[in-house]
Amino acid sequence: MRNTKSRTYRRVYRKAPGGRSVLQLKKRKPKNAHCATCRSVLKGVPRERPFKIKNMPKTMKRPERPYGGVLCSKCSKRLFIEKTRSLV
Amino acid sequence: MYEIGRLAVKIAGRDSGKKCVIVDILNDRYVMIDGETRRRKCNIIHIEPLDQTIKINKNASHDEIKEAFKDLGLEVRDTKPREKQVRPIKLRSKEKVKVEKVEKKKGIFGRSKKEKVVEAQVAEAAKPTKEMEKSSLEELAGIEDKDADKKTSDKKEKKPKKAVEKSHEKKPAVKKKKDAK
Repeated sequence: MRNTKSRTYRRVYRKAPGGRSVLQLKKRKPKNAHCATCRSVLKGVPRERPFKIKNMPKTMKRPERPYGGVLCSKCSKRLFIEKTRSLV
Repeated sequence: MYEIGRLAVKIAGRDSGKKCVIVDILNDRYVMIDGETRRRKCNIIHIEPLDQTIKINKNASHDEIKEAFKDLGLEVRDTKPREKQVRPIKLRSKEKVKVEKVEKKKGIFGRSKKEKVVEAQVAEAAKPTKEMEKSSLEELAGIEDKDADKKTSDKKEKKPKKAVEKSHEKKPAVKKKKDAK
């Protein structure tokens, strides 16, 4: 028997084929991905459980950009600028 | 700073981190680039210029830029533009009903009787006859019928068919003449 007092599981009421409503307990989704430097919320990264992300195509899981899914757009721009100016 | 032939590094987009060359200046904000990146217009904000420059003409072709990059030791990747795929048009419920009504009038197979008659006439006119087929094929091949004489001789002369009397057929009645007494 699960301890549902701490609300770690999500409560979902569903109608059974017999017509009666039944309580089902489901696991919650993970939180949004954050940037590795500035800790802002990353865009283009879905927030789903692993069994759903596993069946998604690669392009749907992160943006098409170097450091996509790791750094936000601002941080990646800054990184490329620093690299080019260090070469000069 | 932003001039034709100036090398730069792209900062934003999926081509970020790649080197490019300014090919043409379109506006105060936009510039045409080419090189390791795709050939397209780009905002100045998304470019970081370098100290190097290359001698190229305005609106230089992709092949010229390829050769210039080879001297620098950079490889340029050629990409093909993606072909546009026509998406199927989705009809709404009302439009579907209209289409179904029109198809019912035309017939089960989607064509009216008039259209069927016209198509049959066109198909018959377009059919080549057997003589035309043979002559056209031989002319194309350039082959002459050397065996044409033989063919005619080999053919057996058809004899006219005799009228075969059949037993089940009734013979016409023959009237006998009575001798005059």
